[in-house]
Amino acid sequence: NFRHAPPRTEKMAVDQDWSSVYPTAAAFKPASVPLPIRMGYPVKRGVPPPKEGNLELIKIPNFLHLTPPAIKKHCAALKDFCTEWPSALDSDEKCEQHFPIEIETVDYVSAGTSIRNPKARVVTLRVKLSNLNLDDHAKKKLIKLVGDRYCKDTDMLTITTDRCPLRRQNYDYSIHLLTVLYHESWKTEMWESEKTEEDMEEYIWENSCSQKNALDTLLRIKASENVSNVTEEELLASEVVKNYRNSVIALKNEGETENNVSQYKESVKKLLNIQALP
Amino acid sequence: MPGEAYCVSISDEPETLYKRLSLLVKGHDKAVLDSYEYFAVLAAKELGISVEKVHKPPKKIERLTLLKSVHIYKKHRVQYEMRTHYMCLELKYLTSSTAAVYLEYVQRNLPEGVAMEVKKTKIEKIPEHIQEPVWDTLPQVEETEVKS
Repeated sequence: NFRHAPPRTEKMAVDQDWSSVYPTAAAFKPASVPLPIRMGYPVKRGVPPPKEGNLELIKIPNFLHLTPPAIKKHCAALKDFCTEWPSALDSDEKCEQHFPIEIETVDYVSAGTSIRNPKARVVTLRVKLSNLNLDDHAKKKLIKLVGDRYCKDTDMLTITTDRCPLRRQNYDYSIHLLTVLYHESWKTEMWESEKTEEDMEEYIWENSCSQKNALDTLLRIKASENVSNVTEEELLASEVVKNYRNSVIALKNEGETENNVSQYKESVKKLLNIQALP
Repeated sequence: MPGEAYCVSISDEPETLYKRLSLLVKGHDKAVLDSYEYFAVLAAKELGISVEKVHKPPKKIERLTLLKSVHIYKKHRVQYEMRTHYMCLELKYLTSSTAAVYLEYVQRNLPEGVAMEVKKTKIEKIPEHIQEPVWDTLPQVEETEVKS
């Protein structure tokens, strides 16, 4: 039958410095925490068990060492080591304009037998093609070389590398890939001159069947009306043919919308001079 | 404070800039993650880091069904589940020293049983060797040379 010393909580002042009671992460000590906490499953028609000898309170991680005044103290001490973000780059567009390349890396923190995580070596490089110095042919060749990694809607090229064991190596490899793609797309190989109509990315009206047919028809109309020989260049430069060309290009490149189809109808009517049809 | 002198060195190399820092915290207990969120947001505000948004992706429950007994009794099973709660904190516009300070502080105070994934988006200028195509500056090479 021996007397226990009274718990420390009875000697604590209300305005004490809590960060000296719990300066670091520590287990919950019921004699050091002056709060009437109860935790656990309640007894039948009763209340949850008190804090003395409560294993549930010891098991759960507590944040008693991270009260708001303690956090403010820590941050005040750490503020000296922080640097400020340059005020000129206050929006995403400005960052994009001055620093077009984005490198994404992931770090993993977890408890376990090993602190390493094999997913940490993956590096993703993203860049907008409009920021690179590419001309028309180079851009089309780059898009063809890169395939799936280019997104047309956002004009973003995404290169993900994870074939090297270290993150720095993967980063160097992705920059190397970008360099090689850039320089290769500026080169013109001999076999590129054999590019056929199926390989073209967008519809070009010059030298297509549509142009040939339209000119043929117009020449025959002029011949049947016995007008003096009009040259092809004059026909190409005339308004009606230009209208027709624009409407055909719109139809092929953008797909069939109501607007496009009605424009095509108007241009064909003007071309063939048929006014009577609705 | 103990009488130790910490040497702080200031280097002149240009800082790398992080456009976005995304912290995804995973844990089994939602209350612990809530407290951690309060701590991380307050720490970011005190250090002057702009918090873009804090959102909580829905929890994922992994369930397994095992036999209750060691031998036979196939009809009597027991089911266990593991719940993983997530909390995602997105910070914008940090320099590398600020990011290092914040991440070290926040990771040292990560509670037991909680894991974190940090996704850093670094922004860079285009390197010099991609500014101009190199074919303009190379000396004239004979056409018969085989290009490897």
